[in-house]
Amino acid sequence: MSPLAASPWSSAGELLSRWAILCVLAVLYLVAIALSDAFLEPVYVGNILRQAAPVGIAAIGTTLVMILGCIDLSIGAIISFSAVLCAVLMAGDARNVPLAVAVTVAVGAAFGAVNGLLVVFNRSSSFILTLGTALAIYGLTQIFSGGTARGMVAPDFREFFNHRLGDVLPVLALSLLLLAAAVEILLRTTRFGRQIYLIGSNREAARLSGLPVAAVTFACYVISGAFAALGGIAVLARSGVSSTFTGRGFEFDALAAIVLGGTLFSGGRGTVVGTVAGTLVLFIAFNLVNILGFNYNLQLVLKGAIIVVASAAYARLGRDR
Amino acid sequence: MALAAASVPALQSLAHRAGIYGLLAVVLAAALLFVPGFASPTNLANVVTQSAALGLVAIGQTFVIAGGLIDLSVGQLLGLSVVLSCAITDGRSELLLPVLMAMVALGAAVGVAHGALVNRFRIEPLILTFGTLSILQGAIFAYTDQSVGRAPVELVWLANGRLLGLPVAGLVLLGFAAFAHLLLRHTRFGLRLLATGGDAESARRAGVDVARVRLLAFVLSGVGATLAGLLVAGRLGTGYPNAGQGFELDAIVAAVLGGTSLAGGRGTIAGTVAAVILLGVISNVLNLLEVSAFVQTFAKGLIVVTAIVATGARTGRGPLAATRLPAAGPDAG
Amino acid sequence: MRLLFLSKALACVAVLSAALLPAAAGAQTTDRALQKKQMAEVVDTKKFKKPGPYTIGVAAGYMSNSWVVFCLQHIRYEASLHKDVKDVIVTDAAFNPSKQVADIEDLVAKNVSLIIYWPVDEKAIQPALEKAVAKGIPTVNAGGGFSYSAGTVSNAFIDQWALGEEGARHFVKDLGGKGKIFAMLPIAGTTAAVDQLAALKTVLKDHPNVELLSAEYGDWNRAKAKQISENLLQRYPKIDGVFSPAGQMSMGVAEAFEDAGRMKGLTMSPGDEYNGWMKWVVKNQKGGAVTFPTRAGQEATKLGLKILAGEPVPRGLVIPSEYIAPKDAAKFAEMNKPDDWWASKLPEQFKPK
Repeated sequence: MSPLAASPWSSAGELLSRWAILCVLAVLYLVAIALSDAFLEPVYVGNILRQAAPVGIAAIGTTLVMILGCIDLSIGAIISFSAVLCAVLMAGDARNVPLAVAVTVAVGAAFGAVNGLLVVFNRSSSFILTLGTALAIYGLTQIFSGGTARGMVAPDFREFFNHRLGDVLPVLALSLLLLAAAVEILLRTTRFGRQIYLIGSNREAARLSGLPVAAVTFACYVISGAFAALGGIAVLARSGVSSTFTGRGFEFDALAAIVLGGTLFSGGRGTVVGTVAGTLVLFIAFNLVNILGFNYNLQLVLKGAIIVVASAAYARLGRDR
Repeated sequence: MALAAASVPALQSLAHRAGIYGLLAVVLAAALLFVPGFASPTNLANVVTQSAALGLVAIGQTFVIAGGLIDLSVGQLLGLSVVLSCAITDGRSELLLPVLMAMVALGAAVGVAHGALVNRFRIEPLILTFGTLSILQGAIFAYTDQSVGRAPVELVWLANGRLLGLPVAGLVLLGFAAFAHLLLRHTRFGLRLLATGGDAESARRAGVDVARVRLLAFVLSGVGATLAGLLVAGRLGTGYPNAGQGFELDAIVAAVLGGTSLAGGRGTIAGTVAAVILLGVISNVLNLLEVSAFVQTFAKGLIVVTAIVATGARTGRGPLAATRLPAAGPDAG
Repeated sequence: MRLLFLSKALACVAVLSAALLPAAAGAQTTDRALQKKQMAEVVDTKKFKKPGPYTIGVAAGYMSNSWVVFCLQHIRYEASLHKDVKDVIVTDAAFNPSKQVADIEDLVAKNVSLIIYWPVDEKAIQPALEKAVAKGIPTVNAGGGFSYSAGTVSNAFIDQWALGEEGARHFVKDLGGKGKIFAMLPIAGTTAAVDQLAALKTVLKDHPNVELLSAEYGDWNRAKAKQISENLLQRYPKIDGVFSPAGQMSMGVAEAFEDAGRMKGLTMSPGDEYNGWMKWVVKNQKGGAVTFPTRAGQEATKLGLKILAGEPVPRGLVIPSEYIAPKDAAKFAEMNKPDDWWASKLPEQFKPK
């Protein structure tokens, strides 16, 4: 494992890891263009970005948790709950939107806080703990919604996020890019960001050096929860309605995106840029298969194959040990 | 004074070890005493029957997790087994034996594929098996989108019947568990598996063929899933394509609740079986108590979290820290 | 060595799949004439006759969509009208057929008087249902399919084929008898999807100038229907109409067309009375609806209670669908209620919260 370096960016291996997913993304995009010229149309690309937004936004927050060397499997459940909560608070009135969004993000952060406390104070597996909280939150979503998709989205809410800037880029897609940029900057320039990398690289050494391991872990889970809530709001913005199982499966799609993007399970490495690139790889693949007219089920096969092949390719390119 | 100080860690260790068994005992006792209808022999047999399939999958998963890996594809593999066994036999008993062997072969083949991919390309097992999960799911639904075929009566009996008053499915589970326990605890393979899971690098230096051990672990997981599929086929009577959904996560929960650490290096078959029974009892009790279905999901989540915290299932510093694979050496595939 | 092993394993899997693919099951449509005969059969229910008080068990295959939630509320409402029904117990299998089997077993263990259910997969739960019937507990299927089997005593259902046919006829008329269309159907393999598509194709036989470009499966999911439509818009430069009997999905389809600026000149088929769709119809005055009444639950309960009283009942009771023209939609849409809602005559305290 890499020793505590003053800057995680200096190692060549790190640079190679970062380039790897971008290479894969570029290759895939070229293949896509070759197979269908729809991918050349800016409007279509904007569409793909918009489709990727909910998973992408949620994955941004969870990237931090994974760089730490932990995992968060509850984001799918938080997405579901947030979509329902936000719709209920909005109650069809555009004036309620700011409050609805604020409360929803706060609740997502609160769920993240619960995850953070459990992981920090109970040196147990974050995998199984967040799996448990995921179940509990799904249950809460069902109880809260009573089985129907409660709440009403304010009429202009969806229109706002689907509006295309310059007739090309939907606002929702821009949100994804802005949020990604913001967190990437946080990771690279702040002390907090550096601490995340250091703790992820070697938890014990970090603790012995006096780094606030517990506090950083807790904070990352809170961020993950908040971003999952944003992902839920993005789902609402995209489709205009919540359903009780909106977020189901999102956690594994987000996980795939994060890992494809270069973040290792063991922690210490990873970037938000990589995560977004990973998300795009998944969604381009998905749309490619769809647009070529394949049976929906073959799409699942291809999605799985792409995940396997891309991560194998990435492992070849990226590992330097 | 010294005696007291010495006994505290002993008590803690006892609590850890008693962990899942203690929890199961407490819950069983409470259910027998307070839940109307639980104690009836029919109901108890039902609980065992309902848990058997998950038990087989969880036992397979125990091997994989003990080896420092994970296998998310088992749910869909189970589903594939259900569909294929019903579609091919279509109720004909004479085809049962060949189909049984084919399913074992299928589980082994998938396991071999996983092992080879992990060994040769060093792909993270979590992401790899998530990919194969998608592939298998797509394959199943490309083959059929509605129930196909019928399960032969022998499978139905195996899944639902009684032998001398005991549920046959329970006996199957017991047999498989006994075999698995012997394999894990009393063979060199088991020792090597635990060593690999604990610290693959050290194991390799000590001369363990890490790649082969991993391969075998995946094979066991695959076979556990396909055999469980046969039980589920018997239970449903028909090849329902989505039959396997969710088994993988339940299996992982059961293994970890039972005391198998996700970091690898520790594993207990008995603990896994106890955890599977516990989950079955809880589901049954919640149904008997007429707890709303929505509340059941919430309760299940709470129970998982509480049980983990209470039994102190340990894993070391990260969830899958041990899936970090050692650098390619001259002996790596 | 390992590679050889691996390729052998893959070869096995490949051979296995190649051998089986030709055997892939095709969807089977309902034999209408046979079903009509089976529906009309009268069931002798004397063996189920019992005195009250009754406990009704509801084995729900899933509770995660608003239709079944309303259906359940109709069951509770009907139960409340009968003094001899003392309790309604509900289990939810969350789309897991093994769990539904376990749920039915648990309900039987609790000695319920009657089981009303809607299946995740009809065939998978038959053995469990038969055990219930053998114990003298009658079973009634509520919802979208007709089950003629030993495990189901009677059905209160909506005829998916008739629904599809009526919708298709109005749709083709609105289209003017020609154009390129695609179909947006529910979960592949369900009776709904299979019968609706079959009905559409039957109607299209009389209209050779209408071309079915593709049949898609949106799983009753608005967002998924939208995504699929976006891709179809990309693939086909000209789409004149969409056949979508489920209003929930119709909304997603309509959004996709609106976003792409291709709403003008698009003909939408009637959907169902899903509130969100009704609101859209009121606003856009296109499409209309063929209803999928949630009071199937109420009828199922009535059937069940008749069976418990020993009265003869038909094997299948159809809950008729009605056509709602766009101009009449305003009578059915509840503008201040959420999209995920169904028009009904339920009294206020029984409506979902």
